[in-house]
Amino acid sequence: MPQVVFHKNGQTFIEQVKDNTNLVVRAGIRQFPFPHLRYQCGMGKCATCACEVLAGAADLPPPNWKERKQLGDRIDAGWRLACQLWLDHDIELRQDDPACT
Amino acid sequence: MSELLSRDDFRTALENAIKGKSANKSPFSLAWAGGTLSREQLARWAENHYHYVGPFADYLAYVYARMPAQHVEAKDFLLANMYEEEIGGDRHTDLLIRFAEACGTSRERVTDEDNMSPTTRALQAWCYAVAMREDPVVAVAGLVVGLESQVPSIYRKQTPTLREKYGFTDEEVEFFDLHIVSDEIHGERGYQIVLELADTPELQARCLKICEVGAQMRLLYTTALYNDYVAVQAEAEEAVAA
Repeated sequence: MPQVVFHKNGQTFIEQVKDNTNLVVRAGIRQFPFPHLRYQCGMGKCATCACEVLAGAADLPPPNWKERKQLGDRIDAGWRLACQLWLDHDIELRQDDPACT
Repeated sequence: MSELLSRDDFRTALENAIKGKSANKSPFSLAWAGGTLSREQLARWAENHYHYVGPFADYLAYVYARMPAQHVEAKDFLLANMYEEEIGGDRHTDLLIRFAEACGTSRERVTDEDNMSPTTRALQAWCYAVAMREDPVVAVAGLVVGLESQVPSIYRKQTPTLREKYGFTDEEVEFFDLHIVSDEIHGERGYQIVLELADTPELQARCLKICEVGAQMRLLYTTALYNDYVAVQAEAEEAVAA
């Protein structure tokens, strides 16, 4: 089971999730990382769920067309859209609110 | 059913009620997954599917209006579901029309009610009847748990096939991609609401029954699509060959 380390505005939240987990789906059903993960459309169109991947990026599939379109150059800096990721490995993510960045 | 089931037992019973008649087993779904449908047949599917899922926010709006005010979580869920169907990102029906156009049909043909089969019309009417007439908790069980929660497992099988066997682009099949995320959320929240609010043996029994009927309706719909657009064409081709 993948371990998710989620950093938000200076706080850290850690929980194990089932294999093949999507964090936006989890937040949508009111489970970790709810209420900390910010998201909106759930379809790769708004980039509200964008997170910086601090560890575990190598285990993720390459960014898909929606991530490339929404994130552009931020992909090279390690950003991904949480709504497009189905997790099978440990991962460490950061998503700060704009006012805190 | 004379005793109240525990949450775990009730959930298992709901899952079994749906599983028995899963649309995954319909001949149309199997042909789709096997890559044997023509683009023309997929276009007919899209023209029908629009009239089943297109009014989904309308169905939910009736349930929302009839859901008692004290069930704030349930009302908020219904409202969020409607918002996400219509204006949360791209309108879901617009993505369906994009797929339909890639199959060779047009927006005008898709939105024209005369292009749906009688069985699709029956499924749409059943959805409206459930939304308007059933207890709102039973309606959530029928429409969200019984129908919407089936979608991720169906599209998870169908989407890779659309790319790999039928040759559609990522943008053309976006309708299927987004449902894997949004319907997982909607289906699971629907379960949570039904498990919470169906708090008598009678309500639980009605929820189980409507899930069973909803799954039957969806299976009926996809089976009719096969009969109307696939089997008919195959018979015609056989007749010509003979």
